[in-house]
Amino acid sequence: MEKFLQTLIDALAVGSLYALIALGYTMVYGILKFINFAHSDVFVLGAWTSFLVAVAAGWGDPQASAGAGREWVAWVLWAATIAAAVIAAFEYAAWKRRHPTDAFSLNRTRLAGSLVLVAAWGWAALGLAKMAGVVKAWGDNGLFSGLLILLCAMATCGLVGFVLERLAYKPLRKAPRLNVLITAIGVSLLLQNLGQLQAMFGTRPQRMPTLLPTDAPLATIANVKIMPVDVIGAATAVALMFLLDFLVHRTKFGRSMRAVSFNPTTASLMGIPVDRVISVTFVIGASLAAAAGFLYGQKYPGLNQTAAAVWVLLGLKAFVAAVVGGIGNIRGAMLGGVLIGLLEFFGAAYVSAAMRDVYVFSLLIVVLLVRPSGILGRPMVEKV
Amino acid sequence: MTPPTDAVLEVRSICKSFGGLKAVQEFNLTLPRGSLRGLIGPNGAGKTTVFNLLTGVYKPDVGSVVLGGREITGMRPFRIAGAGLSRTFQNIRLFGELSVLDNVRLGCHVRAQHGVFRSIVRTPFHRGEERAIEASARRLLGVVGLLGRADEQAKNLPYGDQRRLEIARALATEPRVLLLDEPAAGMNSQEKVALRALIQRLRKEFDATILLIEHDMGVVMDICERITVLDYGKTIAEGTPDEVQSNPAVIEAYLGADADAGSSHAASKGGR
Amino acid sequence: MSTLRSRSVEMTPAALPTLVRSVWPLLVGVGVALALQFFAKPVIGDFYAKVLLDIGTSIILAVSLTMVNGFTGQFSIGHAAFMMVGGYVSGGIVYYGSLLAWGSADMAGGALSSMIDGREAPFLTWGDALFAGSLVAGGLVAAVCGYVVGLPSLRLKGDYLAIVTLGFGEIVRVLIQSQTSDVLYTVEEVKETAWYLMPTKVGGALGFSGLPFYSSLFWVFLGVAVTLLVAYRLKDSATGRAFLSIREDEIASEAMGVNTTQFKVRAFVIAAFFAGVAGGLFAHSIGVQLNPGELGFLKSFDIIIMVVLGGLGSISGAAIAAAIVTILPELLRNPEPLLKMWPVLAGLAAVLLVAAVVCAMTGRRARSLVAWMCIVLTLLGLGFGARAAAAAGHNLGDYRMILFALALILMMILRPQGLFGVREVWDRSLWKGIADSFRAPPKKGGTNK
Repeated sequence: MEKFLQTLIDALAVGSLYALIALGYTMVYGILKFINFAHSDVFVLGAWTSFLVAVAAGWGDPQASAGAGREWVAWVLWAATIAAAVIAAFEYAAWKRRHPTDAFSLNRTRLAGSLVLVAAWGWAALGLAKMAGVVKAWGDNGLFSGLLILLCAMATCGLVGFVLERLAYKPLRKAPRLNVLITAIGVSLLLQNLGQLQAMFGTRPQRMPTLLPTDAPLATIANVKIMPVDVIGAATAVALMFLLDFLVHRTKFGRSMRAVSFNPTTASLMGIPVDRVISVTFVIGASLAAAAGFLYGQKYPGLNQTAAAVWVLLGLKAFVAAVVGGIGNIRGAMLGGVLIGLLEFFGAAYVSAAMRDVYVFSLLIVVLLVRPSGILGRPMVEKV
Repeated sequence: MTPPTDAVLEVRSICKSFGGLKAVQEFNLTLPRGSLRGLIGPNGAGKTTVFNLLTGVYKPDVGSVVLGGREITGMRPFRIAGAGLSRTFQNIRLFGELSVLDNVRLGCHVRAQHGVFRSIVRTPFHRGEERAIEASARRLLGVVGLLGRADEQAKNLPYGDQRRLEIARALATEPRVLLLDEPAAGMNSQEKVALRALIQRLRKEFDATILLIEHDMGVVMDICERITVLDYGKTIAEGTPDEVQSNPAVIEAYLGADADAGSSHAASKGGR
Repeated sequence: MSTLRSRSVEMTPAALPTLVRSVWPLLVGVGVALALQFFAKPVIGDFYAKVLLDIGTSIILAVSLTMVNGFTGQFSIGHAAFMMVGGYVSGGIVYYGSLLAWGSADMAGGALSSMIDGREAPFLTWGDALFAGSLVAGGLVAAVCGYVVGLPSLRLKGDYLAIVTLGFGEIVRVLIQSQTSDVLYTVEEVKETAWYLMPTKVGGALGFSGLPFYSSLFWVFLGVAVTLLVAYRLKDSATGRAFLSIREDEIASEAMGVNTTQFKVRAFVIAAFFAGVAGGLFAHSIGVQLNPGELGFLKSFDIIIMVVLGGLGSISGAAIAAAIVTILPELLRNPEPLLKMWPVLAGLAAVLLVAAVVCAMTGRRARSLVAWMCIVLTLLGLGFGARAAAAAGHNLGDYRMILFALALILMMILRPQGLFGVREVWDRSLWKGIADSFRAPPKKGGTNK
């Protein structure tokens, strides 16, 4: 009973994180019809960013994390600035191709717009991180700073998602899907190995500072302690999912998203700014993955190096969740995440812990062979 | 009607619906050996669906297709091609990266004894077969007038040449019945004249039995012996070109219920 | 009924000349392998011999993956799993076979199998036969796995298939890691153990250690020769055209009578066989310890990089890219050979620059020129960068994956068909196409997509 309850809690806590990551896969697949292999790396980036922010705000053991997290302010700014410049250049080139004869002056607003947007984004992330530092120095309120760190990680990864989409995927909008898939693999490898650089996160595993108390369970049922991190993690995940569900099904923007996923060409003829919708989809997906990364780091504080196979496996399980639930279907991704969590943890607890990855992938193969559209997936219905 | 023993292709009341849409209802067809049949109808009448049903892309809900006395209903497309039913595609589906010659050589695939082991070891028979395939591919390219472009990539051919290449590729499968899906679409008038000559030549030299979907009434009325008219998935008329042109149901399908214009209008509507 | 059949029989050439024509390429391959083993190795030295060995293995892997990803257009990203299967089968046979036959797992090969200079040994021994047999066995078992993985491709397309192959690779890895023991059988135990129990003790998560180093330049390049020959002959035959047609347009291919399912599975099986052989060669390479952790999807991605950079469907492209991808880290670690070439590279870059400027001024498309110039300049920059980095205490070899990832992304954006596309280095149309891309832009229209 004890074992069962403990497994159930772990499964639900991790399953809801799988669901968060799966949402990103499913949304991108719904719109662009390709597996964004780099999504799991955005998740890793989220975990590492929140680690850096938490350390900068004053948590953790400064000795253990020496070197890492000291110059992060510089690189966020640098990355944002460079990204802004490159995106602006791309925008300009694309615009110039469409209007070869127009003068440069017309485009200046657009160029400046990209620069300002991305730079402001970077600064916002910085501001959030500073606020977390202030809160920590002021009263050591883990919950509140945790929220700020979460937002900061989401903002940073959202920015990264935006940049990736603009630089790597947008030029391939009309290319065969295989090419986009290969590009996604390339982006994934790039993020993994960039993250390993000494100037980024380094090759040493780090320990994520835990913001929530680890010795004060919220409740104890049958000798099983229900920890705040599980409850708050799952609650955050569920809240974000409800927010997304509301966004997709109840707002005008959600309607455009669904329209684009249904048929981009027609959607653009109806006046929907397809590029913008796709960008926002990437941003949302990336920020949800970042949130998952932060929450995962809180539950399992040992952060592996970015290219470690563990991360890719986590991302793949989330992808499996998206497929099992029915890819392109938002509620399916949530259901799939929880199912995968249950399968993995119960399999690990009751059958064999070493084989936990085998269950997940076997389920994937079975689902693909028996019902390729997934549990909730109905072809052409409610795809996002 | 011709006696059934002479029929190469017999289609007996096939139906197909997609959800609530009845794409093809009770379609019947008997093609005698060596005949040339036209299949016409307004856009969305179900002509290409008929082709897809015959060639196994879709499975008919009911009904049967018999080719040369052999039941081919519901077989997979490659088996149907092996049985002797070959087609071209309305939206050209060539193997773009492959050379023109290779496209036709692939058509010979279905008659070849190819095997992985033979290909690797290169047995004498394999070499003979490759030679035979190349010879027959070149002959077909000569027939459609593309021999000079044999080594170009198929995707680089102009539109009209691509259509003729599709015909050559389909012929390479040595079909009993050839299904041509809008071969004249996108051709200029000169090319259309050449196409007509080509189709006549196919009948003479290859004894080809042809089922032809075409929107260009000039071509259809000129070369087809009999014509079947589809509208909303139903066969609304069948007969010689003259009979079809004067059939009120056909005029109605093409021009709408209250039209009183003659068949020349009907013809001009189809020709894009 | 078929007239093709009767014409084929008519055109069948005589047996003897055919035999000669069919066999001589293989003999050339054997000759090259022998020459590398006995003449080249002493000249280039141990270090470059090892690099050459790795290049050979990579070529086999890349060319075999080309048959699936390039020819049939299916996207497998679990190729390393077949390598792992082949490696473990071959390693197990050699290790336990040696224990049974000679009482120790030491290398019992002859001069053909030797990577060590000055080792006194007969030309061929029974050890070599055991090794060669184990390679074939490893390939066959991998081929069976290829059949099993190929079956889902009956129903799955594109990225779904990719994920299944990846999942399969992970399952194989986890099974070997967690279900085998790291305590190997001793000589006495082996004699009392049934053969079917042996796969349970192949090293587990720690890796299969103690495999004798049989892989020599001869064996590896014999494998390369066979792989290249098979790949080329498949591509240039009815079978290969069927593969390529599936990649180009599956519906049309099926309509033309190609049993697409069967051919996809065939491609998987053949590719898996050669990956298995490469795995066997890898397992017995000097300085390698067979470890499931090293043969996960990152290894698969390495192979994919080779295939994609070379051009999906180009055998020679895959082979060249495999060589580059294998050499580049070595070059970065030790950039002197690259720097020695700098006058040549700089001259090449200058010529390309002038050509690009001329093209631009005369209104011609210069994109490909610029791309090639970028490649040349990148090589040059890498050389200097590596030297500067070495002077500053860094190792540019650490950056190799970043370089490859960037190359992959840029390649997809600038030249999505890869260096050579579906064509081979010796195809005239390839060079004509590249030359044409410098001339006036082609007329629009006439494409079928």
